[in-house]
Amino acid sequence: MRPREIVVVSGKGGTGKTSLASVLCVKASSKAVFADTDVDAPDLWILLKPEDKESFDFHGLEKAKIDPKRCVGCGKCFETCRFRAVRMNKGIALVNTTFCEGCGACTYVCPAECISMEKMQQGHYFMGETEYGPMWHALLNPGGENSGMLVSLIRKAAVRTAEERALPLVIIDGPPGVACPAISTLTGADMAVVVTEPSLSGWHDLERIGELCRRLGVSMKVVINKSDLAPDGAARISEKCRERGWHVLGTIPFRRKIVDAVSESRPPVDELSPEIDSIWENIFSSLNLV
Amino acid sequence: MFRIAVASGKGGTGKTCVASSLALVAGNVLAVDADVEEPNLAIVLGVEMRHLLEVTIPLPVPDVDKCIMCGQCAESCRFGAIALLGNKPPLVNSSLCNGCGACSIVCPAAAITESKRGIGEIGYGEKGTLKILEGRLRVGVNSAIPVIENTLDEAEKRDTLHIIDCPPGTSCPMVAAVGRSDFVVLVTEPTPFGLEDLSLALSVVHDLRIPAGIVVNRSDLSTADPGILCEKFGVEVLARLPFSKAIAKGYAAGISPVKVDSTWKVAMRKILSKATEAVR
Repeated sequence: MRPREIVVVSGKGGTGKTSLASVLCVKASSKAVFADTDVDAPDLWILLKPEDKESFDFHGLEKAKIDPKRCVGCGKCFETCRFRAVRMNKGIALVNTTFCEGCGACTYVCPAECISMEKMQQGHYFMGETEYGPMWHALLNPGGENSGMLVSLIRKAAVRTAEERALPLVIIDGPPGVACPAISTLTGADMAVVVTEPSLSGWHDLERIGELCRRLGVSMKVVINKSDLAPDGAARISEKCRERGWHVLGTIPFRRKIVDAVSESRPPVDELSPEIDSIWENIFSSLNLV
Repeated sequence: MFRIAVASGKGGTGKTCVASSLALVAGNVLAVDADVEEPNLAIVLGVEMRHLLEVTIPLPVPDVDKCIMCGQCAESCRFGAIALLGNKPPLVNSSLCNGCGACSIVCPAAAITESKRGIGEIGYGEKGTLKILEGRLRVGVNSAIPVIENTLDEAEKRDTLHIIDCPPGTSCPMVAAVGRSDFVVLVTEPTPFGLEDLSLALSVVHDLRIPAGIVVNRSDLSTADPGILCEKFGVEVLARLPFSKAIAKGYAAGISPVKVDSTWKVAMRKILSKATEAVR
């Protein structure tokens, strides 16, 4: 059977995605492959401490490269680029690769034919072994692009490893936000576990990720973290989730010892107990794995 | 015009808390929410937003009568957004199209015109001397960059102090949001996560050659220290702000820390003066 992909996301950053995901990984020990798709700020490795066995270069889309010797300084590429990736400097066109989307439009308008599209190393990804199972993770170069592509790569690799080792689950620590890396993380996943917090911002962002899950057809469950920082807020979020048909898996109060565990670079397994036990049972049983 | 960007690497370290507090202390400012995937600044500033303008990108529309079915548009599209099915005019998949315009450049029959596709909006609000611009990406849209760029363009029409609340991470949206600023405040927390992501964010800011300073939020929650990073990148810690339940509760209810805790006011003044000094 195809491995099931469980994705931990949040919309808002800093709600406790990685801490919670790390404990789910421990609970799923020897049943799952783990993956971190928060590729521009990856932290799961800090807690799971993989020993990397293989490392790969990540090349995103090709980027425009202008040969300065042949550039005639006409500025056509500058006018054509809609991503502000080309600027003119002393009569020569220069490409800012961070903003180059790799569309190639500039190559069609250059009269000197001095623009080529070239592969660029934009990050790395790794296959490692942790105490609890195999793990795929990545690191985009600072300021890098095409994070959605890297996310898809990591997910495919993790699913492949799960198939090879006959493991039924893939647990993914996802990125914040709702744009390309979040969309790539959620598309086709079996379940989204959304970690939220009882603040107005938390709710605002939860609604947006809920809308994204609805559009992508991903079933969504919610964990309300740091619930005691605003008890009425937590109750209100539970109520609103019920109205929208989002199953609330559990609420977890703020505990300083959770931060302490993370500061010691270990998954806060005992510190998230007992709440995490029923959360995990609920996730596991709803997957209908025999 | 002087622009201070508030960024972080790791999410949830307190960017919006710091940005809102800086804006409230500075007084006559334009607060800019460039975290367009999850804009929260207006909530914490308690300002009601109204629609200012829609953000659009070009969307190719093939003209069925002019199309000679040569297939060059589909071939030129590197995003797989144009499909040719049998002997029919091309189909455009708008969700994959980033509006680059390559297809209309290569079309030999000039059969591709462009319409507009809405991908987000910019909102505007005021409260006394405080003004706020908010970029907001439509849910389901892949690329946040055009919304960030348009929001910053709109901000630049207003010649004043800008406080820019940036998206988390260290990839292209973060670069776009901090890229035009004069000074970057990086908010971190003293945990291994906070410092790891701070180090990535610092290398981005370093490459952009923008002066920066660090705010350690929830400074007493753990013992990790950004000292080594400060040395490596030549930046200093501008403020250390201890954890407080009162601040967390205030934030939960949409109240900026500076209204809850007077130590924040002092810290924000210091950050503002350090930022202007660093640039001078």
